[in-house]
Amino acid sequence: MAGKPVRPSNAIDQTRRMLSLVTYLRERPGARIEDVARAFGITEDELVSDLDVLPMCGTSFRGGDLLDIDTDGERIWWHNPAALGAEAAEPLRLAADEATALLVAARAVATLPGLRESDRQALLRATAKVETAAGEAAGASSRLSVTFESEGGVFADVDRAIAERRRLWIRYYSPARDEVTEREIDPIRLVSVGHTYVEAWCRRSEARRTFRLDRVAEIRILDEPSAPPEVELRDLSEGLVQPAAEDPEVVVEVAPGGRWVAEYYPHDSAEELPDGGLRIILRTPDPASLRRLALRLGRDGRIVEPHELADSARQAAREALAAYDGVEAAG
Amino acid sequence: MAIAKAERLMNLALCLLGTRRPLSKRELRDSIEAYVEAVRPGSGAAGSDDSFNRMFERDKDDLRELGLVIETVENLDGETGYLARRDSNRLPPITLDAEEAAALGLAAKVWQQARLAGAASGALQKLRAAGLPEDVDPYGAHGALEPRIPVHEAAFEPLMLALRDRRPVVFDYRKANAAQPGQRHVEPWALECWRGHWYLAGWDRDRGAERVFRLSRITGKVRSRSGRFTVPVPDVVTVRETVASWAGESADRSARIRLRSDAGYPLRAKATAVRELGEGWDELEIPYGHGLDAWLVEFGPDVVVLEPAELRADVVDRLRAVAKG
Repeated sequence: MAGKPVRPSNAIDQTRRMLSLVTYLRERPGARIEDVARAFGITEDELVSDLDVLPMCGTSFRGGDLLDIDTDGERIWWHNPAALGAEAAEPLRLAADEATALLVAARAVATLPGLRESDRQALLRATAKVETAAGEAAGASSRLSVTFESEGGVFADVDRAIAERRRLWIRYYSPARDEVTEREIDPIRLVSVGHTYVEAWCRRSEARRTFRLDRVAEIRILDEPSAPPEVELRDLSEGLVQPAAEDPEVVVEVAPGGRWVAEYYPHDSAEELPDGGLRIILRTPDPASLRRLALRLGRDGRIVEPHELADSARQAAREALAAYDGVEAAG
Repeated sequence: MAIAKAERLMNLALCLLGTRRPLSKRELRDSIEAYVEAVRPGSGAAGSDDSFNRMFERDKDDLRELGLVIETVENLDGETGYLARRDSNRLPPITLDAEEAAALGLAAKVWQQARLAGAASGALQKLRAAGLPEDVDPYGAHGALEPRIPVHEAAFEPLMLALRDRRPVVFDYRKANAAQPGQRHVEPWALECWRGHWYLAGWDRDRGAERVFRLSRITGKVRSRSGRFTVPVPDVVTVRETVASWAGESADRSARIRLRSDAGYPLRAKATAVRELGEGWDELEIPYGHGLDAWLVEFGPDVVVLEPAELRADVVDRLRAVAKG
């Protein structure tokens, strides 16, 4: 699995966690550190740091009834569970943000085409129960929504191929080259980050590749077993496109009308220009793939470097114009 | 060394949850070590009562963020007391089976925004404490479906809080083609993520109309304004339809183009009619909406627009701009 999103541990999250932890530990004398960390979705180190704080806490410091919780490094022992009345240890209601975060995510995941029907049903049941339990706190969740983009039929085939460990044949459109190629791929996992992608081992290039599902023109599940080499799964939270330091640099200058480029292309820098435009520096393994961008920009921008790319865009535009002259002459 | 904030918050929460009668501020101050330390003479702060008061107010706000309902009660002496009643703080009974638990576990992992990721984990931990069955990960390491909700826009969090609390906001917004941002006063209604980008729908006070904003075009800080909403929030807020119309997906006419036989797959996918012309060319009929000219130019010499004349002129115009370079 990819690593979980990295986030700084803060006092609010830790307090929230410790409040749930005391409820949980009260009912499980001798709980194993490993199990508790897994149940709470935290690292063992995080759990141990919570266990360092808990003995400093109690319902009344002066009364001397601090929580006597300790660990031998393997199991967790609570020697005076009575220090916390049964009432104070009851599970707490969900906060508005908690209900929103969980419900919005659950509703979004439930709309993913290709999610196994039994999983979707389970998710819908769980969502309804959480809504009820959250009560008023669930209200704000209707103000946030997320739609995952994915191509239903393609998604279902990829999902099935992964489950059955079978190879896929696809016809795939690559916008950079404006061409459709056929390839056999061994699918590894499906990833939704705005659009939905399949990460796979491509048998044509013998390399790991990511394919956007809405660019799959045709798909077939083959009888051959899928056998992707063991690859380390990347953490995709920083985005799917991660240019390498050695990739060539492309410099694009855009007028205000071309500022969208900075929104759509991951880039190293975007410097404001006096006319309200931007000077954008990005890196790509294949600068020729940006010819489309140069053509699209028109008077809203131009490629400054590399020269070959700027030239090829100019050349393509001239050729295209020649075709119009031809049609005009013929007509 | 100062006592860690989490320890202080935890003690305050346990005191408020454990008491049956309202506790006065003084009682709380005297029974929580971190507060005792904050008001101790020589602790540095001259007005240590002030600093305690500020700390106490902030701490109560933080606990309320976590969902704790803290009541304020005045006792017979006119002194204010605080308590977190168990009736108003208890999670209602909820029973989830292993499948439901696993599904929620998947959902809780999708946020890539610190505050919501933390809140989703917190929700799951509360449910876990209430007996949510523990994961037997049904998805496995391979064959896993990994949805992620991206949040790269700095404006997201302040807008989310503002719409939750129904507070008007003001921010600088740069329209797609504008050189300079303009200030917008907005009553935020809804946030929606579509194709990996976040949009805000709300009431634009300056224009007196509903508007949709793309969060990545908000420049600088989102600031809250005092006062209430002036317009009722509609039950249904449509964001996606508006954005689709920006993207030219609401085509109402059609265009005829020539396309080289081996090129332009996405144009073919959208075509309503395709005819082979021979000599390596096809003729296509495609929907014509806003933005089609820019898209067609991307295909360079592989596309020739036949009609309408207006689209043809736009494309030629764009090509000339590039050819001059």
